[in-house]
Amino acid sequence: MADVSKVGLGLPPYVFVVERVKIREFAEAIGDKNPVFLSKEGALAEGYLDIPCPPTFITLAFQEFTGAYLKAFEALGVSLTNVLHGEEEYEYLGEIHAGDQLTCHLNFESIVEKKTKTGPMDLITLRTLFTNQEGKEVLRSRSLIIERK
Amino acid sequence: MPHYVDFNGLQVGDSLPSLTKDPITKVQLVRYAGASGDFNPLHTDDSVAQKSGLKVVIAQGILIMGFMAQAISGWVKKSDLKRFKVRFMGMTYPGDVITVKAVIKEKQEGEKGLFVLCDTLAEDQNGETKVSGQFEIMQPI
Repeated sequence: MADVSKVGLGLPPYVFVVERVKIREFAEAIGDKNPVFLSKEGALAEGYLDIPCPPTFITLAFQEFTGAYLKAFEALGVSLTNVLHGEEEYEYLGEIHAGDQLTCHLNFESIVEKKTKTGPMDLITLRTLFTNQEGKEVLRSRSLIIERK
Repeated sequence: MPHYVDFNGLQVGDSLPSLTKDPITKVQLVRYAGASGDFNPLHTDDSVAQKSGLKVVIAQGILIMGFMAQAISGWVKKSDLKRFKVRFMGMTYPGDVITVKAVIKEKQEGEKGLFVLCDTLAEDQNGETKVSGQFEIMQPI
């Protein structure tokens, strides 16, 4: 079960670089043909300074490329085999463009035990604040992870 | 250039034009795994999925959220999107056909611009909701 003594702590700040080619790869995997995500020309035509991040692109900052989810689960003593993703929320504070270097502050916000028909579970809330290379806050995220015990 | 929704002609309770995606394929799940870095084998390897009691691999929940994001960034300029949140309700499989819908829940004009809150969902070909959520936009007037 998740270690409640870790609530309020988090991961050391880590860096996630928004790679241009990954934005295109991500949009194409989704099947999103919106020209703003596929080329700089498409983005400029819509008034962006460069290719903007698709709204869910920030998920990359938690996955294999940074290992942040795995590090968070390890720190909290959560077993990977028992976790489900319950909710995901993004608050967009500023535009994120290809080439940006984001500093990610991931915090273990809360762990709440819930009893259900199928047994007890922990609801783990992770909050992350992303600032860009100019120090501007550009995104806040909240992930609700469910650990079945 | 995308044809965005003109909210001036719409009211609370009105629906936005729905987006129906092509059927999900296993190849798409593999591509999304590589693109997103979510290498959980439940999404790419049937034998692992079967050990967990599933018949075949399941789609990444965030992929379905990505379908919803595709719909939203077709409805409004992405830079007008201020908040997007979802709850993952059910598993989605290869072959499923996802449709993304949205209904206007709140609409207010203020000093900062036009604020619109929409309920949104992604449902499969049987009308079963897989992901539900909300998004907020702020458009300059």
